[in-house]
Amino acid sequence: MAAKKKRTPNTHNDSWVVIAADSAVETQKHDCDPDFVKLRNPSTDEASLYMLSAGDVQLYEVKAFEEDFHSWFVGQTVQRDGKLLFVTRMDPLYLILPYMIKSGQEGKFQPVDQVVKDDEFPASSRLLSCTRSLTSLHHIAEGKEVGSLKFHRYSQERTLNWLQKKVERTIVALKKKHICVGEGVKSTTYVRVKTESDNQEEDYLRYAHGLISEYISEELSKALLKHLGLPELKSAKETEPPSKKRKLSDKPVEAGEDYTKFNSGDFARKPPKKMTAAQKTLAKVDKSGMKPMSSFFSPKTKAEKK
Amino acid sequence: MFLVKRRRQLAETVHVYISCYIWETEGRMSCNASVTRLHLSSLKRAEKVPVHLMPCEIEHNGLAQVSQYFTATTKEKKKEKTVSFRGRGLKGQEISCPQGYTGLVLKEVDRHGSDQEDRTVKVTSVFDKLTYWNLETPPTSDDTVVMAMDWPELAEAIHGTVED
Repeated sequence: MAAKKKRTPNTHNDSWVVIAADSAVETQKHDCDPDFVKLRNPSTDEASLYMLSAGDVQLYEVKAFEEDFHSWFVGQTVQRDGKLLFVTRMDPLYLILPYMIKSGQEGKFQPVDQVVKDDEFPASSRLLSCTRSLTSLHHIAEGKEVGSLKFHRYSQERTLNWLQKKVERTIVALKKKHICVGEGVKSTTYVRVKTESDNQEEDYLRYAHGLISEYISEELSKALLKHLGLPELKSAKETEPPSKKRKLSDKPVEAGEDYTKFNSGDFARKPPKKMTAAQKTLAKVDKSGMKPMSSFFSPKTKAEKK
Repeated sequence: MFLVKRRRQLAETVHVYISCYIWETEGRMSCNASVTRLHLSSLKRAEKVPVHLMPCEIEHNGLAQVSQYFTATTKEKKKEKTVSFRGRGLKGQEISCPQGYTGLVLKEVDRHGSDQEDRTVKVTSVFDKLTYWNLETPPTSDDTVVMAMDWPELAEAIHGTVED
């Protein structure tokens, strides 16, 4: 943990509050159990926690929602660690992709089981057991069959098209969420300024790109930006690439001993240093009691000790 | 659902930049090869419990008389709950787990001094809704934990299968 707490460190935590996809904890289908494993995070290149369902059929991502100064009451017990973990389904291709890119530099067609190999993260090869992995490889690679053997070679063109579809799907989900709040909005204090709608499409696109960029390398993220026809923003303050966001939030928001400061009023006066374009526009509209979520999600990506 | 009427905006919805979480506790060396197995057989025996997210850090892990001293003094008016905790007024509300998702409390199974790398966790409790508490401020749909509940749906979009 970062040295954000001046209190005694919480060294005895052995319990976690989790919200998990039902499919991750289905008991009937298999005799075996799911495993939490460490795999190479495609964006940070460092260890992150994932989960493989029973029989390695499905991959799940583990993410933590965490705010300072929170604890749980669970039944008749106190749990000091106030984190809430989310276990959600994940596309294994995001994790396979860096290995394909790396082997693609040689320009040869290779069997995937030789490509997706990582001495540092032995569980990586289990990714190929996921149902979706082999059936969706064509999204990121060209295939060749020689007799009964299959070989693959990374294709950036295919990958970018695949990622574009991901971005489009994400935009749909974002809009769906947005639309469902649209009707109730008009009647209340929040009135959307019409002129903003010109930029709205681009805002969606940039946001979706930012979300997808959490799962790809910085280099690929830039290529995707170009592929989507989005210019890189010059001003770092207007929008920032996700990679920078990560660096920035390495420093958790400093909080004093007085936790009344976390009352939204006080806290909102300290906005995060960097905001995306859409956030900025929105910030102009209504600031009362609002804070961007990013300020509450401090990454726990620690460099692993070897 | 009352959440539909929320005054929520794009920026907030999207900013579910939840951290990539590394499961590691202090003082425990753990290599990248180690695996933590989730014993699902424990799920059937797990009890459904009330779960509260408190707006303060409580330096304790273990038993507490929650229902006697906390739940018993909670008042509820419409959707808003109020309670006094250590002389502070808390306001809270109950939220449900997203559809298709289950709340679990996992606990590490004692390894009895085993020097094995691999660890085991079991499900000790389950929940389908939780109550979160704010210090003084009334609960709104802009509260971060409410927004965090949007993450699963967004994740579905990011990770769902793409058509050819």
